[in-house]
Amino acid sequence: METNEKEFSPQESLQLIHSMISKTKNSVADDSFYFLFWGWLVFGCCIAQYILKVYLLYPNHYIVWWLMPVGGIISGIYGSRQSKKQQVKSFVEEAVAYVWLSLAISFIVLIIISMTANTWQTAFTYYILLYGIGTFVTGSLIRFRPLVIGGIINFILAAVCVRFSYDNQLLIAAIALVTSYIIPGHLLRMKYKKQKN
Amino acid sequence: MFKELDPILHSQLRLAVMSLLIAVKEAEFTYIREKTNATAGNLSVQVQKLKEVGYIDVAKQFKDNYPQTTCRITPKGIEAFEAYVQALQAYLGTSGKG
Repeated sequence: METNEKEFSPQESLQLIHSMISKTKNSVADDSFYFLFWGWLVFGCCIAQYILKVYLLYPNHYIVWWLMPVGGIISGIYGSRQSKKQQVKSFVEEAVAYVWLSLAISFIVLIIISMTANTWQTAFTYYILLYGIGTFVTGSLIRFRPLVIGGIINFILAAVCVRFSYDNQLLIAAIALVTSYIIPGHLLRMKYKKQKN
Repeated sequence: MFKELDPILHSQLRLAVMSLLIAVKEAEFTYIREKTNATAGNLSVQVQKLKEVGYIDVAKQFKDNYPQTTCRITPKGIEAFEAYVQALQAYLGTSGKG
Protein backbone atom coordinates (compact mmCIF):
# COMPACT_ATOMS: atom_id res chain seq x y z
CA MET A 1 0.00 0.00 0.00
CA GLU A 2 1.04 3.56 -0.53
CA THR A 3 1.74 5.18 2.74
CA ASN A 4 1.89 8.72 1.44
CA GLU A 5 -1.63 8.81 0.08
CA LYS A 6 -4.82 9.41 1.93
CA GLU A 7 -8.28 8.35 0.85
CA PHE A 8 -10.20 11.07 -0.87
CA SER A 9 -13.82 11.48 -1.88
CA PRO A 10 -15.25 11.79 -5.42
CA GLN A 11 -15.98 15.47 -4.69
CA GLU A 12 -12.36 16.07 -3.80
CA SER A 13 -11.40 14.18 -6.94
CA LEU A 14 -13.41 16.50 -9.17
CA GLN A 15 -12.05 19.56 -7.36
CA LEU A 16 -8.52 18.33 -7.88
CA ILE A 17 -9.11 17.73 -11.61
CA HIS A 18 -10.62 21.19 -11.94
CA SER A 19 -7.80 22.93 -10.10
CA MET A 20 -5.06 21.13 -12.03
CA ILE A 21 -6.62 21.87 -15.40
CA SER A 22 -7.03 25.55 -14.50
CA LYS A 23 -3.33 25.70 -13.56
CA THR A 24 -2.41 24.98 -17.17
CA LYS A 25 -4.59 27.80 -18.52
CA ASN A 26 -1.92 30.48 -18.33
CA SER A 27 0.79 28.30 -19.75
CA VAL A 28 0.80 29.82 -23.25
CA ALA A 29 4.32 31.13 -23.87
CA ASP A 30 5.11 34.75 -24.60
CA ASP A 31 5.11 35.01 -28.40
CA SER A 32 5.41 38.80 -28.49
CA PHE A 33 9.05 38.60 -29.64
CA TYR A 34 7.99 37.32 -33.08
CA PHE A 35 5.40 40.03 -33.60
CA LEU A 36 7.77 42.78 -32.49
CA PHE A 37 10.80 41.42 -34.34
CA TRP A 38 9.03 40.82 -37.65
CA GLY A 39 6.80 43.86 -37.24
CA TRP A 40 9.69 46.29 -36.85
CA LEU A 41 11.92 44.52 -39.39
CA VAL A 42 9.36 44.45 -42.21
CA PHE A 43 8.10 47.93 -41.28
CA GLY A 44 11.69 49.21 -41.56
CA CYS A 45 12.16 47.47 -44.92
CA CYS A 46 8.94 48.97 -46.34
CA ILE A 47 9.95 52.49 -45.30
CA ALA A 48 13.56 51.98 -46.45
CA GLN A 49 12.46 50.69 -49.85
CA TYR A 50 10.05 53.63 -50.20
CA ILE A 51 12.83 56.14 -49.42
CA LEU A 52 15.32 54.38 -51.75
CA LYS A 53 12.81 54.16 -54.59
CA VAL A 54 10.88 57.42 -54.35
CA TYR A 55 13.37 59.90 -52.90
CA LEU A 56 16.81 58.51 -53.75
CA LEU A 57 15.73 56.94 -57.08
CA TYR A 58 18.00 54.01 -56.32
CA PRO A 59 17.37 51.33 -58.99
CA ASN A 60 18.06 48.31 -56.72
CA HIS A 61 15.61 49.55 -54.08
CA TYR A 62 14.33 45.98 -53.46
CA ILE A 63 17.74 45.08 -52.00
CA VAL A 64 16.30 45.72 -48.50
CA TRP A 65 14.31 42.48 -48.72
CA TRP A 66 17.50 40.46 -48.45
CA LEU A 67 17.07 41.09 -44.74
CA MET A 68 14.15 38.62 -44.77
CA PRO A 69 16.26 35.42 -44.88
CA VAL A 70 18.51 36.97 -42.18
CA GLY A 71 15.37 37.57 -40.11
CA GLY A 72 14.32 33.98 -40.72
CA ILE A 73 17.61 32.70 -39.31
CA ILE A 74 17.46 34.96 -36.22
CA SER A 75 13.83 33.97 -35.65
CA GLY A 76 14.72 30.28 -36.02
CA ILE A 77 17.61 30.51 -33.52
CA TYR A 78 15.40 32.34 -31.01
CA GLY A 79 12.64 29.74 -31.50
CA SER A 80 14.89 26.77 -30.91
CA ARG A 81 16.38 28.38 -27.77
CA GLN A 82 12.92 29.14 -26.43
CA SER A 83 11.66 25.62 -27.05
CA LYS A 84 14.60 24.29 -25.02
CA LYS A 85 13.61 26.49 -22.09
CA GLN A 86 9.93 25.67 -22.34
CA GLN A 87 8.70 23.24 -19.71
CA VAL A 88 5.26 22.62 -21.10
CA LYS A 89 3.77 22.57 -24.59
CA SER A 90 0.08 23.26 -25.08
CA PHE A 91 -2.08 22.33 -28.05
CA VAL A 92 -2.80 26.01 -28.69
CA GLU A 93 0.92 26.76 -29.00
CA GLU A 94 1.32 23.88 -31.40
CA ALA A 95 -1.59 25.11 -33.52
CA VAL A 96 -0.18 28.66 -33.58
CA ALA A 97 3.25 27.35 -34.58
CA TYR A 98 1.81 25.39 -37.51
CA VAL A 99 -0.25 28.36 -38.68
CA TRP A 100 2.91 30.50 -38.87
CA LEU A 101 4.94 27.74 -40.46
CA SER A 102 2.35 27.41 -43.22
CA LEU A 103 2.30 31.22 -43.61
CA ALA A 104 6.09 31.39 -43.83
CA ILE A 105 5.95 28.81 -46.64
CA SER A 106 3.13 30.81 -48.27
CA PHE A 107 5.30 33.96 -48.24
CA ILE A 108 8.07 32.11 -50.05
CA VAL A 109 5.60 30.64 -52.56
CA LEU A 110 4.15 34.11 -53.17
CA ILE A 111 7.62 35.54 -53.84
CA ILE A 112 8.25 32.74 -56.37
CA ILE A 113 4.88 33.44 -58.03
CA SER A 114 5.57 37.19 -58.17
CA MET A 115 9.02 36.59 -59.67
CA THR A 116 7.74 34.09 -62.23
CA ALA A 117 4.61 35.91 -63.36
CA ASN A 118 5.93 39.42 -62.58
CA THR A 119 2.90 40.19 -60.43
CA TRP A 120 4.59 42.62 -58.02
CA GLN A 121 1.66 45.01 -58.40
CA THR A 122 -0.53 42.67 -56.34
CA ALA A 123 2.21 41.19 -54.12
CA PHE A 124 1.57 43.43 -51.11
CA THR A 125 -2.17 42.81 -51.31
CA TYR A 126 -1.52 39.13 -50.68
CA TYR A 127 1.22 39.73 -48.09
CA ILE A 128 -1.14 41.92 -46.08
CA LEU A 129 -3.86 39.29 -46.47
CA LEU A 130 -1.46 36.66 -45.05
CA TYR A 131 -0.50 38.94 -42.12
CA GLY A 132 -4.23 39.27 -41.46
CA ILE A 133 -4.81 35.50 -41.45
CA GLY A 134 -1.85 34.92 -39.10
CA THR A 135 -2.77 37.56 -36.56
CA PHE A 136 -6.51 36.83 -36.70
CA VAL A 137 -6.03 33.09 -36.13
CA THR A 138 -3.36 33.58 -33.43
CA GLY A 139 -5.44 36.22 -31.65
CA SER A 140 -8.50 33.94 -31.71
CA LEU A 141 -6.57 30.92 -30.43
CA ILE A 142 -4.78 32.70 -27.58
CA ARG A 143 -7.86 34.89 -26.96
CA PHE A 144 -6.07 38.18 -27.41
CA ARG A 145 -8.36 40.79 -28.93
CA PRO A 146 -5.78 43.34 -30.23
CA LEU A 147 -4.42 40.66 -32.59
CA VAL A 148 -7.93 39.81 -33.80
CA ILE A 149 -8.65 43.50 -34.45
CA GLY A 150 -5.26 43.87 -36.19
CA GLY A 151 -6.19 40.92 -38.39
CA ILE A 152 -9.53 42.46 -39.36
CA ILE A 153 -7.84 45.80 -40.19
CA ASN A 154 -5.43 43.91 -42.45
CA PHE A 155 -8.26 42.19 -44.32
CA ILE A 156 -9.60 45.66 -45.12
CA LEU A 157 -6.15 47.07 -45.98
CA ALA A 158 -5.52 44.14 -48.33
CA ALA A 159 -8.67 44.97 -50.28
CA VAL A 160 -7.84 48.71 -50.32
CA CYS A 161 -4.15 48.23 -51.15
CA VAL A 162 -4.70 46.83 -54.65
CA ARG A 163 -6.13 50.18 -55.83
CA PHE A 164 -2.87 52.03 -55.10
CA SER A 165 0.44 52.29 -56.92
CA TYR A 166 3.31 50.02 -55.86
CA ASP A 167 5.07 52.92 -54.08
CA ASN A 168 2.04 53.73 -51.97
CA GLN A 169 1.46 50.04 -51.30
CA LEU A 170 4.77 50.09 -49.42
CA LEU A 171 3.31 52.67 -47.06
CA ILE A 172 0.05 50.75 -46.71
CA ALA A 173 2.04 47.62 -45.84
CA ALA A 174 3.90 49.67 -43.20
CA ILE A 175 0.53 50.71 -41.71
CA ALA A 176 -0.61 47.06 -41.82
CA LEU A 177 2.47 46.05 -39.81
CA VAL A 178 1.86 48.73 -37.20
CA THR A 179 -1.77 47.66 -36.71
CA SER A 180 -1.35 43.89 -36.83
CA TYR A 181 2.15 43.20 -35.46
CA ILE A 182 3.70 46.18 -33.69
CA ILE A 183 0.80 47.53 -31.57
CA PRO A 184 -0.62 44.08 -30.63
CA GLY A 185 2.96 42.83 -30.08
CA HIS A 186 3.70 45.55 -27.52
CA LEU A 187 0.32 44.99 -25.83
CA LEU A 188 0.99 41.23 -25.71
CA ARG A 189 4.40 41.82 -24.13
CA MET A 190 2.82 44.08 -21.50
CA LYS A 191 0.20 41.42 -20.76
CA TYR A 192 2.84 38.73 -20.16
CA LYS A 193 4.94 41.06 -18.02
CA LYS A 194 1.90 41.77 -15.87
CA GLN A 195 1.13 38.06 -15.61
CA LYS A 196 4.66 37.35 -14.43
CA ASN A 197 4.57 39.93 -11.65
CA MET B 1 -24.22 -0.62 -8.30
CA PHE B 2 -21.46 1.87 -8.91
CA LYS B 3 -18.78 1.59 -11.50
CA GLU B 4 -15.63 1.03 -9.57
CA LEU B 5 -13.29 3.99 -9.65
CA ASP B 6 -10.04 3.18 -11.42
CA PRO B 7 -7.62 2.60 -8.51
CA ILE B 8 -4.72 3.88 -10.60
CA LEU B 9 -6.43 7.24 -11.05
CA HIS B 10 -8.15 7.41 -7.67
CA SER B 11 -5.00 8.62 -5.98
CA GLN B 12 -4.32 12.29 -5.37
CA LEU B 13 -0.96 12.71 -7.00
CA ARG B 14 -1.56 10.39 -9.95
CA LEU B 15 -4.88 12.11 -10.65
CA ALA B 16 -3.19 15.51 -10.42
CA VAL B 17 -0.55 14.43 -12.94
CA MET B 18 -3.18 13.05 -15.32
CA SER B 19 -5.31 16.21 -15.01
CA LEU B 20 -2.31 18.35 -15.91
CA LEU B 21 -1.33 16.19 -18.85
CA ILE B 22 -4.85 15.95 -20.27
CA ALA B 23 -4.82 19.73 -20.80
CA VAL B 24 -1.45 20.03 -22.55
CA LYS B 25 0.48 18.35 -25.34
CA GLU B 26 3.44 17.48 -23.13
CA ALA B 27 5.04 18.68 -19.93
CA GLU B 28 8.40 18.35 -18.25
CA PHE B 29 8.82 16.57 -14.95
CA THR B 30 9.92 19.83 -13.27
CA TYR B 31 6.76 21.59 -14.47
CA ILE B 32 4.56 18.80 -13.10
CA ARG B 33 6.44 18.88 -9.79
CA GLU B 34 6.00 22.64 -9.53
CA LYS B 35 2.26 22.50 -10.25
CA THR B 36 1.52 19.53 -8.01
CA ASN B 37 3.82 20.62 -5.15
CA ALA B 38 4.98 17.02 -4.87
CA THR B 39 8.41 15.85 -3.85
CA ALA B 40 10.62 14.59 -6.66
CA GLY B 41 10.80 11.11 -5.12
CA ASN B 42 7.08 10.65 -4.70
CA LEU B 43 6.29 12.11 -8.12
CA SER B 44 8.86 9.84 -9.70
CA VAL B 45 7.18 6.76 -8.22
CA GLN B 46 3.69 7.84 -9.33
CA VAL B 47 4.86 8.77 -12.83
CA GLN B 48 6.47 5.37 -13.11
CA LYS B 49 3.18 3.69 -12.12
CA LEU B 50 1.24 5.67 -14.71
CA LYS B 51 3.82 4.68 -17.28
CA GLU B 52 3.63 0.99 -16.34
CA VAL B 53 -0.12 0.86 -16.95
CA GLY B 54 0.34 2.70 -20.26
CA TYR B 55 -1.53 5.88 -19.30
CA ILE B 56 1.42 8.15 -20.04
CA ASP B 57 4.55 8.14 -22.17
CA VAL B 58 7.79 9.21 -20.54
CA ALA B 59 10.71 10.38 -22.66
CA LYS B 60 14.12 10.92 -21.13
CA GLN B 61 16.70 12.99 -22.93
CA PHE B 62 19.55 15.39 -22.35
CA LYS B 63 19.14 19.11 -22.88
CA ASP B 64 22.28 21.21 -22.46
CA ASN B 65 23.89 18.41 -20.44
CA TYR B 66 20.98 18.19 -18.00
CA PRO B 67 18.73 15.14 -17.94
CA GLN B 68 15.20 16.02 -18.81
CA THR B 69 12.03 13.97 -18.49
CA THR B 70 9.03 14.81 -20.62
CA CYS B 71 5.61 13.26 -20.02
CA ARG B 72 2.60 13.08 -22.25
CA ILE B 73 -0.73 11.33 -21.93
CA THR B 74 -1.44 8.32 -24.19
CA PRO B 75 -4.76 7.52 -25.95
CA LYS B 76 -5.22 4.76 -23.37
CA GLY B 77 -4.66 7.35 -20.64
CA ILE B 78 -7.23 9.71 -22.14
CA GLU B 79 -9.75 6.87 -22.31
CA ALA B 80 -9.10 5.91 -18.70
CA PHE B 81 -9.33 9.53 -17.56
CA GLU B 82 -12.65 10.01 -19.35
CA ALA B 83 -14.03 6.78 -17.90
CA TYR B 84 -12.88 7.89 -14.45
CA VAL B 85 -14.62 11.28 -14.75
CA GLN B 86 -17.79 9.59 -15.99
CA ALA B 87 -17.69 7.18 -13.07
CA LEU B 88 -17.21 10.10 -10.69
CA GLN B 89 -20.15 11.95 -12.18
CA ALA B 90 -22.36 8.85 -12.01
CA TYR B 91 -21.30 8.32 -8.43
CA LEU B 92 -21.95 11.90 -7.38
CA GLY B 93 -25.20 12.10 -9.36
CA THR B 94 -26.65 8.98 -7.77
CA SER B 95 -25.41 9.68 -4.28
CA GLY B 96 -26.89 13.19 -4.52
CA LYS B 97 -30.36 11.77 -5.17
CA GLY B 98 -30.10 9.11 -2.50
